[in-house]
Amino acid sequence: MSRGRLARWGHGAALALVAVYSVFPIYFITVQSLKTPQEDVFGSPFYVADPTVENYAELFAGPGARVRGFVVLPRVPFVRWLANSAVVLGASLVVTLVAGVLAAYALGRLQPPGWLWWRRALFATYVVPHTILFIPLYQVLIALGLDDSHGALILIYSTMALPFCVWILSAYYRHLPREIEESALVEGATPATAFLRIVLPMSRNVLVAAALFTVGTVGNDFMFASIFLLDPTRQTVAAGLGVMDVSLEELVAVAGVNLAAIPVATACALFARGYVRGLTAAMVEGA
Amino acid sequence: MGGLTQVRPGSVPHRPKQALAGSVRRREILVAYALLTPAVLLVLGVLAYPVAWEVWISLTSFASRAESRSFVGVANYRTMLADAFFWRALATTVVYFVVTTLAKLAVGVALALLLARPCRGRALVFLAVFLPWAYPGGVTVVAWYWMLNPPLITSYSVAVGHWKHAVDGVAGAGAYTFASVALFNIWRGASFTAVFLLAGLNAIPRELFDYARLETRSAAQRFRHVTLPLLRPFLALAVFLSFTTAFADLANVWMLTGGRVIFPVVGTYAYWLGIRSGEFAEAAAWSLSLVPLLLLALAVLFRWFDPPREAPA
Repeated sequence: MSRGRLARWGHGAALALVAVYSVFPIYFITVQSLKTPQEDVFGSPFYVADPTVENYAELFAGPGARVRGFVVLPRVPFVRWLANSAVVLGASLVVTLVAGVLAAYALGRLQPPGWLWWRRALFATYVVPHTILFIPLYQVLIALGLDDSHGALILIYSTMALPFCVWILSAYYRHLPREIEESALVEGATPATAFLRIVLPMSRNVLVAAALFTVGTVGNDFMFASIFLLDPTRQTVAAGLGVMDVSLEELVAVAGVNLAAIPVATACALFARGYVRGLTAAMVEGA
Repeated sequence: MGGLTQVRPGSVPHRPKQALAGSVRRREILVAYALLTPAVLLVLGVLAYPVAWEVWISLTSFASRAESRSFVGVANYRTMLADAFFWRALATTVVYFVVTTLAKLAVGVALALLLARPCRGRALVFLAVFLPWAYPGGVTVVAWYWMLNPPLITSYSVAVGHWKHAVDGVAGAGAYTFASVALFNIWRGASFTAVFLLAGLNAIPRELFDYARLETRSAAQRFRHVTLPLLRPFLALAVFLSFTTAFADLANVWMLTGGRVIFPVVGTYAYWLGIRSGEFAEAAAWSLSLVPLLLLALAVLFRWFDPPREAPA
């Protein structure tokens, strides 16, 4: 009995340790962003004794310059950036999921000749090195008339997220029993209706997995956003705060990115269970 | 890249479709290609020109200071291969890949096994484990940067400074920055791997574990002979994604701030050559130098993923 209890305690302790390890950096940066300049220097790094939201309030203070000591700091159109980020994220999600579902259904269910190689070709684009890719990419975007527009980022994020989404979605459709659709067709539904009303709802969890992967891809980008969006009123949060010279040194910037992250992290948490179920469903007969 | 040239439509469909008339099938194939078009245009269409450009540029003498751009064949590659610095950078890069990937796998497997066992509070810990990946990288990289390289005079700058000097003193200047990039990468990547492997563990039928419990003597044995083989496709995908994201853009930028000289990394150096020095041709050659390695990893992944019995191609 005592051995079992010991094991349970050990398991619990390990879980607690894991939780601390995972959350600590985010906790840490949040603590710093709630500090006054005085406490930032003289306080403890691990907690905040006298929390203030001045760094967060600063983001919404509107136009005009802010003076701190002898330094004049420019204000940023943060609300605008938040809206831009939401637009880019939403549009990337829609484009990725629609194109991904169509392609995955084609590859997984209709299986045209060479489908395996199409799937592999899409996935193989992950070996393309990103290092100096943005130079020719810029030429492409200018040719498409997308320079300095949200379309550029939507295009790039979709390109980056699609191969993985197509991969898991097509793995799912491939193993879905054909009878499910056939029975709908017998009932008189068109193939499109059968897909929209029956197959698509069934793949809900896999769609969640694909969507969260896209969110992760978009949320992680920083370079493309700061290179392709130059107009301050069009920038996303990542681009805007990234190009501020002092970005990494400023508590305001930290507060800003943190604030932008909260809705994203909340959405991810809400769908986390679906994400795991979706990955399981997609890969269960994957090999 | 190289993978694109392998596209060869014309392998046979994989499941024999009984009772499907030829014309129906032909229509189905047409529909399939139509449905495939948006994704192919979005991915291959967008990348085709940039990739071709990069390959072409690496064969020329294109640089911001050069008067003219001429075709020089593989000269850039020859210069690169003759450069001792390249081999050092390659070695660092490979070691970095291997170390971070192994660490991500080890942490990921441990977390997944820990979370697979039902217990109280598991849902909360699962969310915590999911957080490093779900939280936008733009924030967490700043968090790590602040934690390990405090930018201003803060309450913990002195303590961290001592650490930094201790690490750099032992392993060479820039070691600390290099290690912090690796740590961030492992922290974020292990979260993705753990959740991914948890999905894999959930896919294993419970009866298999019950059966394995009768057949094997220890948990370690069970892990090696039952869990690991069944997780293989998940592990393969996790490793590959870890390879390709080992140099996610953020880390790349951060990397430029330090550790560049003692611990050169191919991607970072290519960025440096191209953007800072304007040596575009050489930069292209450098950044393409990792592609053969990645393609090799991809070939292994595909083998594990689409086993030969299903892939006559």
